[in-house]
Amino acid sequence: MMMGTHQLFKKNETYNGLYAMLLVNRLQMLYFFLIMPNILINPYMIWVLIAVGLLSQLNLLLLSKWLLTRLSSNGYNGFVQLFGKKLVRFLSFIGLFFILLKISVITLGFSEIVQTFILPSTDTNFLVFFILLLCFYVAGRGVEHTIRFVLISFFCTFWMITFFVFFVFPPIAQLSDLYPLIPMEWKVENWKAVFLILSSYSGPEFLVFLGPWLKTNNKTFRYLSYGNALTVVEYVFLFIASLFYFGSNFLSKTQYPIINMGRYLQNPVFERIDIMMLSFLLFNLVFAVSLFLLLFYGASKIAFGKMSKPTSGKGLLFSVFLIFIGMVLVNELFWKSWEKQNFLLNLQIIAGSISYFLVPLVIVLVMKKEGVKKHAST
Amino acid sequence: MLLHKKLCKRLILLFMTFWLSGCAPVTENNLIEEISPVTFLSISKGDKGKLKVSTIMPPLSKENKFVMSQEVSLLKEGVQKYNFNFYQEIKSGQMRMLVISDELGKDGIMSIINVLLTDPDISPRIYLVLVKGNFDEYLESQLDKDENFDYSFYRMLKHYEEKNQGELTVVNLHQFKHLLYTPYSDPFLPVFKIEEDGVNYEGTALFKDDKLVETISSLDERIFQLINNDHYLKVLPIPEFEIVLGHVRSKIIVDIDSSYSTMTYTVNIDTRIEEYRGEKQLFDPQQLENMKKDIETHLEKQTYELVKKMQELKVDPLQLGIQTKRPFSKPMEEKKWIEMFEKMDIKIKYNINIDPLTDANSKRPNL
Repeated sequence: MMMGTHQLFKKNETYNGLYAMLLVNRLQMLYFFLIMPNILINPYMIWVLIAVGLLSQLNLLLLSKWLLTRLSSNGYNGFVQLFGKKLVRFLSFIGLFFILLKISVITLGFSEIVQTFILPSTDTNFLVFFILLLCFYVAGRGVEHTIRFVLISFFCTFWMITFFVFFVFPPIAQLSDLYPLIPMEWKVENWKAVFLILSSYSGPEFLVFLGPWLKTNNKTFRYLSYGNALTVVEYVFLFIASLFYFGSNFLSKTQYPIINMGRYLQNPVFERIDIMMLSFLLFNLVFAVSLFLLLFYGASKIAFGKMSKPTSGKGLLFSVFLIFIGMVLVNELFWKSWEKQNFLLNLQIIAGSISYFLVPLVIVLVMKKEGVKKHAST
Repeated sequence: MLLHKKLCKRLILLFMTFWLSGCAPVTENNLIEEISPVTFLSISKGDKGKLKVSTIMPPLSKENKFVMSQEVSLLKEGVQKYNFNFYQEIKSGQMRMLVISDELGKDGIMSIINVLLTDPDISPRIYLVLVKGNFDEYLESQLDKDENFDYSFYRMLKHYEEKNQGELTVVNLHQFKHLLYTPYSDPFLPVFKIEEDGVNYEGTALFKDDKLVETISSLDERIFQLINNDHYLKVLPIPEFEIVLGHVRSKIIVDIDSSYSTMTYTVNIDTRIEEYRGEKQLFDPQQLENMKKDIETHLEKQTYELVKKMQELKVDPLQLGIQTKRPFSKPMEEKKWIEMFEKMDIKIKYNINIDPLTDANSKRPNL
């Protein structure tokens, strides 16, 4: 199972625009979209969803500028050229916390949903353990295979959205559920919703580290945009469907709106469609967490100055183990109590917003300063 | 390669240790022989504010069935008491119906609804039914005659829900909750009455918030089906004119004036005459026209009284308040709407379009 783990970051082939598109889309559809309607609540948030989606488009433009440079395809050395060795070490050290926070929130959030709907008597730590075990396997195959796994993840999860078409037709859909369409008053909670949206769109910033594996050309930005546009459509569609199903008043009371909507669907073969949905969503989670595990391992190697040593399965296992311990701690200390979980969620909302906003921006600014030029690779 | 095999073995060992050491992560036992997935619960008022929870056991295995009922103060406590009493464990995953007694309905059923909503095992599609009379006693009497009474009752509800056939009100948990928690609307439930010949559909129960306030039946009930629930009726008998209208389809236009003082409620109906035992010559266009006018006036009067009743009870199952929502203005508060609704002048207008009698003998033989 661990064949070739000593070549975790080896680069044999590069992936084309389609993969870039799927990467963007699936990294944006991780966990927050499951709880999003519960925080957005008001129908006029549809416009914010679209507006932030456009903003995210700008971010992707910056991102594609970086991906088009020769430096980006050099991986670590590229970053060293840009920032200098010490700064890169420092930044990767900070990055470790961002990755840990992101992995913790999506994995713990997801395992809590699984506990609520599928295995009510199971401790979430066990679920985390099994999820990480799967991710370790996928990550152990190396970056190349993990990126390729996005294809499986996409085809396992994307079709689920078609189920929700049921909710946008009468008798469930009433146009008046979408009123008022413009905000009559702006509350403080609405800002939280805005940041949640921004944070939900985050994820593609991790693509800056995947430069060596992406085949970039002048069409790259177009593909990244397609991925982002797909996400905007999915978000808006799911939000409108949940407004129709729950009504704006009840949305704040339902913790997992999307899964609860899945429970209302009926099928003569499967009664619990929500269980099936969650099981398939696991593919997406495993894909994302595996990618983050590899990034975590890579970043920790850089941060602790072990770049000269070859990558090993043991090293990856050790960092997975560390992450597992960290996650169990986070679970016990924060996630299990409601108020503290909210704190952690807010933290991730802010961290996600910041990282998505700053990473591409800073890189492009530094690039401008250093006078790095685009290269047209084929 | 050797390393990887070793690692693999170690992981499997670790995995096994968890399972064998009793740290098994799954503690629920769902072995089919050992559980009883109940199909319905019947809840009525017990002594001293307690709840009486009953169901038919065992729901699956071919053993003698019996009615089990417990008096408890909390609904889930009832489920626990069943487990203490019977060798199979109760599971609620297959629950299809919740039968609530009308006395309990009058006290409010919010807490029960919340219990159902919280349990992820219970589908939001379970049917809620209100029953007048002693349902438990009826169940006992049915056990010998019709073992699968609960199943046939469920099939009946499912049949009428499926295509909105416009015969009975069928409400599931989600719909009830939606009407309960959405502003400008009040929920309603079907009412069944226990009589000697069985369980009969009586009409629709109107709720104010979560409390039963009124049951509407006969012609009112038919009108309610027509203007709200399904907008379709298979048959609409009007005994006053000795006529039965069939396949009645309705389209509603609600118009509230800008000062919210008058509401014009227009019902456009397409139908055909299904049966007629009166004296009029309905082949004569003039007489048919008269007949139409008579039915229109009659229905207008009845509907007016029905809406008047809703105004007096301050309930809005027709969701008329939604008409006041506008895309670019702040929605008014629900309280304000109810106050306005109470004082509102209601005008009911029926426009009936009747297909003339066809394929029938133009002259009645006894004339």
